[in-house]
Amino acid sequence: MTLDIDAIRADFPILERRLPNGKRLVYFDNAATSQKPQCVIDAMSEYYEQYNSNAHRANHTLADEATTALEGARDRISSYFGTSPEQMIYTSGATEAINLVAYGWARENLSEGDVVVLTEMEHHADIVPWQQMSVDIGIEVRYVPIDVESYTLDMDAFEVALNGASLVCVVHTSNVLGVRNPVEEIIEKSQAVGARVLIDCAQGAPHERIDFDSLKVDFVAISAHKMAGPTGIGCILVRRDAMEEMVPFMTGGSMIKRVTTEGSTFQEGHAMFETGTPRIAEAIGWGAAVEWLEQFDMEEVHEHINDIASWTASRMREIPGIRIYGDPGRDDSSGAVSFLHETIQSQDLALLLDEGGFAVRTGHHCAQPLMDALGVPSTNRASFWIYNTMDEAESFVHYLQEIVDRFA
Amino acid sequence: MGEDRLWPEHLDEVVEEFQACFDSMERYELLFEYAKRNPNPLPPEEWDDDNQVHGCQSRAHVTCFVDEQGGFQMRGGADAQIVQGLMSVTAMALNGMSPQKVASMEPAYAEAMGIQSSLTPSRANGFLNMFKRVKEDASKLSG
Repeated sequence: MTLDIDAIRADFPILERRLPNGKRLVYFDNAATSQKPQCVIDAMSEYYEQYNSNAHRANHTLADEATTALEGARDRISSYFGTSPEQMIYTSGATEAINLVAYGWARENLSEGDVVVLTEMEHHADIVPWQQMSVDIGIEVRYVPIDVESYTLDMDAFEVALNGASLVCVVHTSNVLGVRNPVEEIIEKSQAVGARVLIDCAQGAPHERIDFDSLKVDFVAISAHKMAGPTGIGCILVRRDAMEEMVPFMTGGSMIKRVTTEGSTFQEGHAMFETGTPRIAEAIGWGAAVEWLEQFDMEEVHEHINDIASWTASRMREIPGIRIYGDPGRDDSSGAVSFLHETIQSQDLALLLDEGGFAVRTGHHCAQPLMDALGVPSTNRASFWIYNTMDEAESFVHYLQEIVDRFA
Repeated sequence: MGEDRLWPEHLDEVVEEFQACFDSMERYELLFEYAKRNPNPLPPEEWDDDNQVHGCQSRAHVTCFVDEQGGFQMRGGADAQIVQGLMSVTAMALNGMSPQKVASMEPAYAEAMGIQSSLTPSRANGFLNMFKRVKEDASKLSG
């Protein structure tokens, strides 16, 4: 089956939008967040219009419908990620998911001198919690460098860093470079030395089907909003034996069995880690997003995105002064094209692109150690997804050329 | 500057020049030109933590002082040309005014110039942060 991009685009009302200056929106900021198909918007509206109610702990019809929808979304989402609903803990996103591993697993199981291995490619969400753990309990944080020629992890250095490691935390796909790391090899080698492994799949999940059980990994952090779902929700997938080693880092309602003035007992499994009113509308919206994605072969989706990114990068390289960071032409690249112009400052370039209707992101992309390794303070980044077209890419390249002709 | 004026008379020519631009890209081209015409630039070697304008995605720095005639003077520098151009126009607008007047100024000239995208607070492009910093410094210099 070939992707019908026109039909896909018709599912996204925002893609018809014109900006205040009359320009048609060309949305190339998908690594920051994807747009949402109508079915996701409708599912969330329907919840609020028809059965808005707090989930769990009630016997009325609306609460029953809300609970069924919330747990039904968990079933669908966990199944999409190749695991059972018992292994999935709803969080506010990938950031909270990683923090739950830091505060719920690491603080309970690691102590002074224990080693956590990160990479220079990590998003701040997978750096700062570990730096905080270093302050709180004295863990040692090691960083695997990147090879700035190939834009890949230095796997020799990774093997050295593994010595004595208790936990390895690696980004599946870099939000800056679009590089997909060899996570299968990383998991295998890390577990061979007895380390648990966390993979940050915030960028990976929109581009390939993450199969949690097959990966045999301990923790996977996922964010809904980069894969057609709403903001404010994500999850951590946790292997059964790892979950048994975790304690809740947020406590309160819902996660308890019994509360007395003397103390409380907690629920078991994922329920222990989900306190307070759940993100019901968001979970329902994410479930609808997953149902929408299930109609596609993600390998075809990846190929489509990769074709656009690869073509765009190759044409951009012909524009004088443009330098691309990463190798979007590689088969395993995820469709992010980070670039700079040698004389047009990145923020200026982003504003000028915006005048043409092109939404790209500018800045350090919450990856300052990677920026340091690349020797730049920021980049511009065009990132593509399922609904982008080669026509959009062509107009982008032409417009970029015009900007360079006029402003360089 | 008269009480009923939103910016000094000598800036009218600059504002009109921007208003005469065919489209926004031409306005940005003109702003790039003005970036090179800063009457009192702050070169990168003088950029430090104290004079950095915070909240900008790009690097922007300003210093403000009162000259021998009691007039407000600002020196500014930024790595982004759009911010640098707005700094130039701002310096043309404010330099020589009383610090008290600067402290109560609004950036109406930038709005009149049609640089709308620089005037949205949610865009981290620095102009409004820079203007706020200049007004705060002017307020301190007024004392």
